[in-house]
Amino acid sequence: MTKISFHHAGGAVDVLDVDPGTSIMRAAVTNGVAGIVGECGGQAMCATCHVYVRPEYLADLPAISDDEEEMLDCTADPRDAARSRLGCQVILGNGLEDLEVDVPGSQV
Amino acid sequence: MTLETTTAQPVPVADWVTIAGLHKDPFPIYRRMREEAPVHWVPAVGRYMVTTYESCHLIENDQETFSANETGSLMKRAMGHSMLRKDDPEHDVDRKSYGSVLRPKAIKETWNGIFEKNSATFLDRLRAAGPGADLISEYAAPYAAENLRLIMGFHNASQEDMQRWSQTMINGTGNYADDPDVWTASKKSYDEVDDAIEEVLPYLLKNPDGSLLSGLAAMPIPMEAIRANMKMTIGGGLNEPRDVIGVAAWALMENPSQLNQVKADPALFAVAFEEAVRWVAPIGMYPRETTKETVLEGIQLPQGARLGVVIGAANRDPKVFTDPESFDINREKKPHLAFGGGNHFCAGTWVARASVAGVALPRLFGGLPNLRLDPEQAAVDAGWVFRGMTSLPVTWDK
Repeated sequence: MTKISFHHAGGAVDVLDVDPGTSIMRAAVTNGVAGIVGECGGQAMCATCHVYVRPEYLADLPAISDDEEEMLDCTADPRDAARSRLGCQVILGNGLEDLEVDVPGSQV
Repeated sequence: MTLETTTAQPVPVADWVTIAGLHKDPFPIYRRMREEAPVHWVPAVGRYMVTTYESCHLIENDQETFSANETGSLMKRAMGHSMLRKDDPEHDVDRKSYGSVLRPKAIKETWNGIFEKNSATFLDRLRAAGPGADLISEYAAPYAAENLRLIMGFHNASQEDMQRWSQTMINGTGNYADDPDVWTASKKSYDEVDDAIEEVLPYLLKNPDGSLLSGLAAMPIPMEAIRANMKMTIGGGLNEPRDVIGVAAWALMENPSQLNQVKADPALFAVAFEEAVRWVAPIGMYPRETTKETVLEGIQLPQGARLGVVIGAANRDPKVFTDPESFDINREKKPHLAFGGGNHFCAGTWVARASVAGVALPRLFGGLPNLRLDPEQAAVDAGWVFRGMTSLPVTWDK
């Protein structure tokens, strides 16, 4: 299992153990984590699974694709040049066994 | 059996619902249905209509249980078997064939300039028609049609062709009454679109551009899929932006304080757009079919049940939206279901946002001083599977 922590404004944290191969978005949506919507089901089409990855994990992330890149300019809360990612494009496991993200205040 | 099935309720029947009532104003009907149960069997429609936000959202995200590949689909007959009536993995192949044509980067680099030009053209047409003119037929409809014509790459057709094709094939898709005249007009457009595709593909191979057909011309996609997906896109890419322009403009003119707010801060046109599609979803209902016996929010459904996923009702669910029947750009932001969700999330979402909220509405209200409803002629809204303004007479200061 891999571990992902969703940090919310105000300090609440959702910590989940999920199967390797699960995206951040899917982990959040199937476990009812507040603040992650995932409207398009994981096609990098909607920018409603935006997360800010905590700095200590940035080096472990996959590269940003062209599709993700343009969609990161469409997020409801401002894009952070280093930390913003689409949750549907980051898959847990395969070297990314532990991850912590901050949930934006808004997705729409 | 499981606890779920033993406690599940049978489906209530809503025999009081009529097609005519839905067409005139579906929202009081949806409210009554939603208050009674999340799902009803509706004899007049021949479907199980699903009216709560929770159930519609569940269905969208479970294609294993709720298939888009419906048997006896009117849409398949009217337009062919497009990606909208396929499940993954078949759906995904078709969806990927659209590439990046409808995505934000292409919109910024290619389409926004075209939207501006088309908006100017049809704003001139509306001005020439003069105060008292119909905003839909003079501006919203030709604007949406000309945008779509160029995005799709129909260089051998006119915006009027696009409007006729869209309306006649949509009428076929909704031909529950099985009216033979509707099928005749729908089939004529079906054949005209096939001919137009066949004619334009060789041209686009020699003269490639950023359009959908240009991209498809170079791809190993079966012609049958191209034809069906193009027809679906004609039906899904014209009436809807037209109807959002109409409903948003109507709602703003009906609510002068909100209109003043938007005029003072044009960034709020984006908010008005989202609120307009929440308030009156241009596509109010779409079909799904159960692949097995299932329980939806406590209601027992058989296998093969033909569902109507009524996102027009889900978007007014008071469990999610406060004072849901009101148009209010200042409401708390919540995700609406107007673009659908999951793998069938509308491929044209960003085109709609850019062309309507980014261009059509700000140019309209910016270009015609004191644009307002014409007090001499009533505006008319109609429809339920597809809903919008059928007539929106406006006036302004010259």
